[in-house]
Amino acid sequence: MTPSARALAADVRARRRSAADLAREALDRAHAARHLNAFLDLFPDAAIDQAKRLDARLAAGEPVGPLAGVPVAIKDNLCLAEPYGGRTTAGSRILADYRSPYTASAVQRLLDAGAIVLGKANLDEFSMGSSGENSAFGPTLNPHDPARVPGGSSSGAAAAVAAGIVPLALGSDTGGSIRQPAAFCGIVGLKPTYGRVSRYGLVAYASSLDQVGPLARTVEDAALALAVIAGPDPHDATSARAPIPDPLASLDTPVAGATIGIPRQARSTANHPAVAAGLERAASALADAGARVIDIDLPHADRGIAAYYIVALAEASSNLARFDGVRYGRRADLEAGQGLDDLYARSRAEGFGPEVQRRIMLGTYVLSAGYYDAYYNTAMKARRLIKQDFDAAFAHGGTGGAGRAGGCDAILMPTAPGPAFRLGEKTTDPLAMYLEDAYTVTINLAGLPAISVPTGWADVDGSRLPVAAQLVGRPFDEPRLLRLARTLERGVGF
Amino acid sequence: MARIVSTRLTIGMEVHVELSTRSKMFSRAPNPACREFDASPPNSLIDPTVLGLPGALPVMNRSAVELSILVGLALGCRIADAAVWDRKGYFYPDLPKGYQISQYALPLCGQGRLDVPALDDRGRVDLDAPTHTVRIRRAHLEEDAGKLLHEAPGGGPIDGSIIDLNRAGTPLLEIVTEPDFTTAEQAVSFARMLRDICRFVGATEGVMQKGHMRFEPNINSVLTLDDGREVATPIVEIKNLNSFKSLRGAIEHEAAAQPARWEADGLTLAPGTKRTLGWDDARGITLPQREKEEAHDYRYFPDPDLPPVVIDAAWREAIAARLPELPLSRHRRYVTSLGLSAQEAAALSEERATSDLFEEAMAAAIASGLAQDRAARATANVLLQSGLKRANERGIAVHDLGLHPAEIAELGSLRERGLLGSNAADELFGLLADRPCASGPRSVESLARERSLLTLRDDAALDAWCRAAIAAHPKAADDVRAGKPAAIGRLVGEAMKASAGRGDAAAIRQRLASLLSG
Repeated sequence: MTPSARALAADVRARRRSAADLAREALDRAHAARHLNAFLDLFPDAAIDQAKRLDARLAAGEPVGPLAGVPVAIKDNLCLAEPYGGRTTAGSRILADYRSPYTASAVQRLLDAGAIVLGKANLDEFSMGSSGENSAFGPTLNPHDPARVPGGSSSGAAAAVAAGIVPLALGSDTGGSIRQPAAFCGIVGLKPTYGRVSRYGLVAYASSLDQVGPLARTVEDAALALAVIAGPDPHDATSARAPIPDPLASLDTPVAGATIGIPRQARSTANHPAVAAGLERAASALADAGARVIDIDLPHADRGIAAYYIVALAEASSNLARFDGVRYGRRADLEAGQGLDDLYARSRAEGFGPEVQRRIMLGTYVLSAGYYDAYYNTAMKARRLIKQDFDAAFAHGGTGGAGRAGGCDAILMPTAPGPAFRLGEKTTDPLAMYLEDAYTVTINLAGLPAISVPTGWADVDGSRLPVAAQLVGRPFDEPRLLRLARTLERGVGF
Repeated sequence: MARIVSTRLTIGMEVHVELSTRSKMFSRAPNPACREFDASPPNSLIDPTVLGLPGALPVMNRSAVELSILVGLALGCRIADAAVWDRKGYFYPDLPKGYQISQYALPLCGQGRLDVPALDDRGRVDLDAPTHTVRIRRAHLEEDAGKLLHEAPGGGPIDGSIIDLNRAGTPLLEIVTEPDFTTAEQAVSFARMLRDICRFVGATEGVMQKGHMRFEPNINSVLTLDDGREVATPIVEIKNLNSFKSLRGAIEHEAAAQPARWEADGLTLAPGTKRTLGWDDARGITLPQREKEEAHDYRYFPDPDLPPVVIDAAWREAIAARLPELPLSRHRRYVTSLGLSAQEAAALSEERATSDLFEEAMAAAIASGLAQDRAARATANVLLQSGLKRANERGIAVHDLGLHPAEIAELGSLRERGLLGSNAADELFGLLADRPCASGPRSVESLARERSLLTLRDDAALDAWCRAAIAAHPKAADDVRAGKPAAIGRLVGEAMKASAGRGDAAAIRQRLASLLSG
C-alpha cells in the first residue's frame, strides 16, 4: 500500500524522499499494471523532469505547494498543455491526435501546488458510460478483479489510485462518474458542489451537471486536493465566487450532534446484500460518533434517471456539435461529389463511438421543435422537484414540510446498487447500464456535493469486491461533509 | 384572372449592429469591430473560446451588455430585469461551436419606439414635417459568426473554401422592428437615424463598408385587385444589406418584383411561404442565397455555461446616466434655442464628438462673457468654416483636428469682438491644427499677437490705410462721393491690403465712408 498524498508531500518537503524518485517509482508501478489499461498516455520524461525541477527548488530553499512531488493521474477529458504536452482525447477516436494548447484550470492548480502528472487516465468516451467500457482505446480493468469493470466514466483514474500507482487522481462527475468508479474500486471519490471547482478546460459532457473532483485513497487526501483545486475562476462563469474554508483545518472536529438522513428510497430491495449491509455499517459508524441518524423521504428521487438522461443528453448533443471535422480532430476523407454535409456526417460517424452517437441522437431529439416541452421542460420541472426534496431534507428547524423530516446535515445512501459487474455484462442493455446511476444522478441534478467512501466487501463468485456508500451535503458545505466522511471512514474500518 | 389595381408595401426590419467593445462577446480575444483591431490578419483575433476548442467556456462581456442597454434606452425599449442566453444550434463552418449564443425567449430589450423625422427633398431632416413612428419589437445580444470565403484573398478561384474566424464572437446587437414601414424611403430614414444613434451612444463605429451594420428587411405587398379583393404576397427576407443604397435598392426592387411574381405564380402569404434572398448590388436584383435553403430546427435551449444576466435597478440607472442627449434632440435645440440654421445644426449634431466639442467650446465662450446666441454663432462659425475646411483637407473629422474647446471658444470670441479678421482667424486655426495641443489649451490671443494677426484698433493706422487707399484709387473715391456706394469695395480691399490683413474690414469701411462723406 502506497502512502497517502499528504504523507508523500510531507516527505518531499522535508527532503526525506525526492520527487524524482517518487515519479520513477510511480512510473514503474504504472508499467507493471499496464494490463489494467488505466492510462492512455504516460509522460515519463516530463514527469521526471518536473520532479527534478521541484527537487531543485526545494534544495534552493524555495517554497513549494501542498502537493509537492505527489504523482497524480489526470482523467483524459481535462486539457493539459506543455510541459506535459500529450494528447487530450476524451477517450474518443475523434480527438485521437488532439493536443490542447492550454491547460484546464483545475489541473493548473494541481500543478501549481507541486503535483507531478504521471499520465492521462482512461475514461468512457466523453464521460459517457458507467463501466469504463466505452473508451475508444479499450476498457480499463478493475484492479480487484480484472474480469470486472472499474466503473465509469473516471475508470482509469479510479483504477490507477486503487492499484496503488498514484495516491491521487483528478476526475469529473456528471451523473456519478467519480463516485461510482470510486465505489467499484474501493477508494474515496468526491464530487464537489456545482461551481466549487472551475470547469474551464474540462471537455464538456453536460455543462449544468459536470464537476471536477478528486479520487483518493483517503478522505484526508480528497480534502487536500479539494483545497487545492477549489475556488472561483474568471474563465468559468458558473464557478462560485465564495472562497472555501480549508477543509483540512476542521477535518478532525467531532461530528457529535450532526443529523444524518437516510432516504427511504436508499433501502431498495434491489441493493446487493453487501451494499445494504455497508449502508447500515456506515449509519452505525456515524451514530457511534454521536450523530443522529433519521429516516427521510426524497419523494421525487425515482424521476432522477429519466430527468438526468434528458437534461444531460440535451446538453451533450449541443456540447459535442463542435466536433465537426473542420478545425481540429478527426476529419473524414471525402469522395468525389461529397459535400459539407458529408464532411460532418462522416467525420462524426467515424469519430464517435456507438454510445456517444446514441446520446447525441437522443439529446437532439428531446430538443427538437414539438418535443422540447414534453421532454426537456418536463425534465427541468422534475429537476426542480428533486432539488426541492433535498432542500427540504436540509432545511433547518425540524420538518421539511409535508410531514417530512428536515434538518439533515448530510444524507447517506449507497453509491451504486451493487459491486463491480463483469466486463460485457451490461453493454447490450443500455437501460440496465443507465440504472446503475440511480443513486448518483439526483445529486448532480441538485448540484450538491457528495463523497463516496468504501463500507465493506462483497464476495461474488469467488471475487472480493468493495462496496460503498455516499454522503451528500448542503451546497458549499464540503468541510462538514468531509468531516462526516472521515468519521465514516474510520468507523467502518475498511 | 383578376388584375392588380394598386399595391401597398409592408416592411419590417432586422438590423444587426456590431458593437465596438475591445474584446469579444464571450472571450478576451480582441474584437475586429473595435477600430484598433479592424485591420488584423485573418485568424489572428482568436483564443480557445473563439475557436470552440474542447473545454473552452464563454464568459460574458459586461461592456457589450451595457452598450446594448444604452441603445435600448435610446430606442425607448423596456429593459429586462433578467435576460437569458440561449444556444441556437446549426452546423456551418464559420460557426465554431456548432451553436450560436443568442437570446431567444428573454431578450435584453423589449418593446420600444422611435420617432423618425421626415426628410426634405434634399435628404435633410425636416423638423416641421410630422414624424413617422417605428415600433421596436425587441433588441437582443448575440455573437457573430466568422466568415467563409469562396475566393482567394484578393480574388481568384480556390479549391474549396477558407475560413476566417476573426469576426467569430464579435458582439452583435439585433434590433427587430414591427412591420411599420410602407416605403423604401421610410426604411432608409429609420436605418440612418438608427446608425446615428448607435454611433452617438458609442455602441458601434458604424462604418457601413466594414459591415458594422447590416440590414435585413422583411417585405411583402398587399395587392388590391380589380374585383375588389386584396391578396398578400409571401414575405421575402433580404439578408445582409450593408449600405443605405442597397437597402433602398432591394426594397424598391421587391416592390416591383412582388406583383409580377404573384401574377406568375399566384402564391400568397401563408406559413412556409417565406423566402430568403440575397442582393446583388452590381445588377440591382434580389436572388436566392448561396446557402441551401432548409427548414432549420435550431433546437434553442438555455446555455448552461452562462448564468442569466440580471439587470438590477442600480446597474440600469448607472447605464441610463451615461445616455447622452441624442442627435435629433440636439439638432432641434441648436435650431430653436441657439438660432443656428438647420444645415449648421445637422452638421454639428451628427457626430457625438463634434457635437460635444461644439457644446464645450460654446460653454467656454459663454464663460468668457459672450451671450449664448453670440457664443453659439461664433463657435459654430469657427467649426464649420475653418474647421470643416481643414478636416476635409485631411480626411478626418473636425473633432480629430486636435483643437481644445477653449481655443475654439477664444478664436470665436476674438472674431465676435472684432479683434480678428476672417483670414487671420482662419490662419490661426490652421496654426493650432498643425500643432495639436498636447495638454492644456494655448492662449490664442498671444499666438495672434506673436504672429501680428490681431486686428489693429489704432485710429491713426486706420486713418493712414484709408487715406492711402483713396490716394491710390481717386476714381473709386469720386464714385463714392457721387453716390455710388458699391464703389467703396475697391477702397476697402486696398486698405486691407495696406494693413497686411491686420485691419478689420468693417471698421475700415466705416472710416472710409466717413472720410468720403466729409
